[in-house]
Amino acid sequence: MSNHSQAHPAHLQHHFVDSDQQFDAAKMGMWVFIVNEILFFGGLFCAYIVFRAWHPDLFTQAATELNTVWGAVNTLVLIGSSLTVAMAIRSAQKNQIKGLQINLLITIALACVFLLIKYFEYSHKLHIGIWPGAELYTYEGIDHPLAHVFFSIYYVMTGIHAIHIIVGIGLMIWIYIRAKKNEFGSEYYTPVEMVGLYWHLVDVIWIFLFPLLYLIE
Amino acid sequence: MILSEDKTMSEHNHHEHHVSSAGQLWAIGIALTLLTILTVGLSYVEIPAPFDVVVALTVAFGKAFLVCAFFMNLYWDTKFNTMLLIGAFAFFILMVAVTLLDTLYRNDVVPSF
Repeated sequence: MSNHSQAHPAHLQHHFVDSDQQFDAAKMGMWVFIVNEILFFGGLFCAYIVFRAWHPDLFTQAATELNTVWGAVNTLVLIGSSLTVAMAIRSAQKNQIKGLQINLLITIALACVFLLIKYFEYSHKLHIGIWPGAELYTYEGIDHPLAHVFFSIYYVMTGIHAIHIIVGIGLMIWIYIRAKKNEFGSEYYTPVEMVGLYWHLVDVIWIFLFPLLYLIE
Repeated sequence: MILSEDKTMSEHNHHEHHVSSAGQLWAIGIALTLLTILTVGLSYVEIPAPFDVVVALTVAFGKAFLVCAFFMNLYWDTKFNTMLLIGAFAFFILMVAVTLLDTLYRNDVVPSF
């Protein structure tokens, strides 16, 4: 039985019994969203599998144009940002608001480094004529009539992943502003935890994109 | 083992959320870094055709497991959330399997694809 004479914490919505129930409900909702994200990217991975099964030689040839070193650096950047976001949640749980803010800022910085490296990768490819789609693709360095198909898959998969990174940066700026207003602490840090889950998901997707696109030559 | 101690502690006190130690989080981060170096290193080793993908994906699943279990806290979380994740993966496999039943057995691949 909930005790109505007791004052409710400001963050507690009236339709929840207590903060724990609210937290668990939010977390389950976030996991349902992650299910949706997995199946959303799953469609793209499915396209990858179908085309790779049709043209295995295309993938091994075309992947040589992707720079393994930059792909690996970006993997480490995202792993680092997953670590700092986990540390941010830990700081919130331990009421260390300064630590929460610093870890969020490092995470945002690492996300920007990821996007910067991706920008250099994209602009180099576009510069030498590697565009998505048969009409725009003019690069002649890959001796395969369907080379543009591989890069269409590459641009769509990494592009949608990059959009997720941009959304993540926006979410973390939002969390940072709220943390500055002292809205989070050990009693209430639900939005920090949820943005953390989202960010780890973006990391997990890259963990699969990296070997499947960069490491197959 | 540190992890199992923490688990029994959180089970005793149900309303406490799990708080990972900084050392634990760093250990997972370092493990993920080492696995990344491993998978890049293995890509330079000549492994015959289907097994290179198998090896790369095995490492990727290992990394994904570490992130899901210890960064996303599924290890300490309600089992329902783990079920959601496994369910999503099962339906992904189903989607790929049904699609391949079509695309692998076409007489004529769609021209220009």
